[in-house]
Amino acid sequence: MRGKGSPMPELPELNPVIHGKLRLALLSLLTGVEEAEFIWLRQKTGSTDGNLGAQLLKLEEAGYISVKKKFVQRKPQTLYRMTEAGRRALTEYVVALKQLLGGAIGD
Amino acid sequence: MTANTEEQELKDRISLIESMIAEGRRTTESWGWIFVFWGVAYYVAIAWSAWGNHRVPAWNITMTAAMLVTFGVVVWRKFGGTQKSQPVTTFGRAVTSVWMAVGISFMVLIPSLGMGGRSNSNLVVAVIGTLLGTANAASSMILKWKLQFACAVVWWALAVISCIGTHAQSFYGLLVANFFCQIVFGIYGMIAQSRKQKECRAGQGVSHA
Repeated sequence: MRGKGSPMPELPELNPVIHGKLRLALLSLLTGVEEAEFIWLRQKTGSTDGNLGAQLLKLEEAGYISVKKKFVQRKPQTLYRMTEAGRRALTEYVVALKQLLGGAIGD
Repeated sequence: MTANTEEQELKDRISLIESMIAEGRRTTESWGWIFVFWGVAYYVAIAWSAWGNHRVPAWNITMTAAMLVTFGVVVWRKFGGTQKSQPVTTFGRAVTSVWMAVGISFMVLIPSLGMGGRSNSNLVVAVIGTLLGTANAASSMILKWKLQFACAVVWWALAVISCIGTHAQSFYGLLVANFFCQIVFGIYGMIAQSRKQKECRAGQGVSHA
């Protein structure tokens, strides 16, 4: 806790959509690739189909990722790609996180 | 929740972002075999042209066959093989672009030298050395891989030897550079990739939201 006289600095709020561990992992994974398949994301995160699908839907609803469905050799394939809004949101999240940590370290 | 646990949780988020970005960039594509395969193809062409007395067709046929096989395997892996769920990474695209550009340069330059009657063996080896040196150097700088840069230096050294040295020096230089920078480097790459794939399979993920 700070002393009575010292003013409380404005600490940024963390974006709740990104703050979830799995959603954060998914967005971070998608930063390095052009687009990724559901199977690849599941393999990298070790998540279950249901949970992964639900978290991807939340990211899609927030406009942070886009989804493309197609058929390859008659098999359905779902591809996820990070949107510009998602990239911006993740950058802002990292900046906010660093500010918060900077404040915590400063205390 | 105490300030310490909150701080720890924020730090965990930072580590999670870093590890996932690294994981996304990590490619499990197999490329080591391409180096070994092309190394063997060069030896076949060299042997055929040196002892078969058919220098131009030996190189043309071997290189065309090697290109077709490489293209066929890459296309099969992309669309029908086991690696089709691998995403294209920015690094992967950059490295592939470098090698494709060098491959096209080979296809344009070497036959043109042959058709123009300027396929002097020292000149051809100098071109091969320069192009492979350039591709390996660019690739090593993208991947920050010193060992591959060492290969680039060997290829460039071969190009210099071919420009100023004798026919024999250029010939034996090509044999040595090919052995170390294609065969040995390719086998090393295959071993490294196999290790990386095992690590990927053993890696733990983020299983909850």
